[in-house]
Amino acid sequence: MITIACDAEGRAAAEPFTTAAHQQHPSLIDEKLTVAELYDARNVPSAFWIDENGRMVRANDPIYAQRRNRETGEVTLNTEYLDAVRDWVAKGPESKYLMDQERISARRPALDADDVAAAAQFHLGTYLALHGHAADALAHFKRAHALRPENWTYKRQAWSLGDIERDYGTTFQEALKDPESGPFYPPLDLVEHG
Amino acid sequence: MAATTVLYQGSETQAEAARAEGPELWLTLPALTAVSGWELKPEGVCKEETCVPVPDSRRAALIRSDPSGTLFDLTEFARLIQQPFAYDENHAVWYFGPAGWEWKDRMTSRQAPDFELPDLAGRLHSLSELRGRKLFLLFWASW
Repeated sequence: MITIACDAEGRAAAEPFTTAAHQQHPSLIDEKLTVAELYDARNVPSAFWIDENGRMVRANDPIYAQRRNRETGEVTLNTEYLDAVRDWVAKGPESKYLMDQERISARRPALDADDVAAAAQFHLGTYLALHGHAADALAHFKRAHALRPENWTYKRQAWSLGDIERDYGTTFQEALKDPESGPFYPPLDLVEHG
Repeated sequence: MAATTVLYQGSETQAEAARAEGPELWLTLPALTAVSGWELKPEGVCKEETCVPVPDSRRAALIRSDPSGTLFDLTEFARLIQQPFAYDENHAVWYFGPAGWEWKDRMTSRQAPDFELPDLAGRLHSLSELRGRKLFLLFWASW
């Protein structure tokens, strides 16, 4: 198990959570989204399964293993997903939950020029925001969002560095409905359909 | 001459732009190497084992003679190698991403890309050091 925090503000942002979770595994920080972009993780959480030979066997699962309701404190386990992980651990390549090349590629499609231009705008915006130029960062964040609307990480990180209503004229609930962006979390598709 | 910040594939360098015209970033050859690692050589624009030939049709857009010496347009070079870039006029900051040959073949392999990242204590970990075990890799964020 490896966890990677996609936080531009680095340790200061991530540490309260990792301390509370008493993590025992490598708990890494990816401030510049270098690895998130390499894997094309476009939102969080996003999980990948990697086998003993370093091959990806599941990609970009939009998954919470455990969720805690902020109001009631109630914790619910995603037993269906945890069972799938256990199945893989027990059966390895025979597990029915592994994805073939086609499904992996669908979860991690080839990038085009707009996608990488979006990344450049996002990173420039982040640099400006972290150097005290939040107002000037906005134009770059907005360009990034327009160029790659399906990347929720670019949006959520930008919103967290500003104010979604004041700076972007929307709300989180409204943004979820934007048809350009596609689903916030795509279907999990634990096993192949059709 | 204007002070600029160039963010080039993970490194940040302050440089004197010989000339900035809109997004075009003209640098002296020493500044070019300082910010990007690229060097202008007779065989092309080179870094380590890679040399990018300068097509005749693009030479005038890439290289200029100036009283201060030879100038090179790093932005035009980015277009040549299909490298995404972004710039901010107000703060004179340029950002350059991966070259086309890097981002284009990233996704074609089934092999999980190797990486190296720090943990909270700053110690580096790589994917390859954990080879031989099943790995569950989870991206998360505080926001």
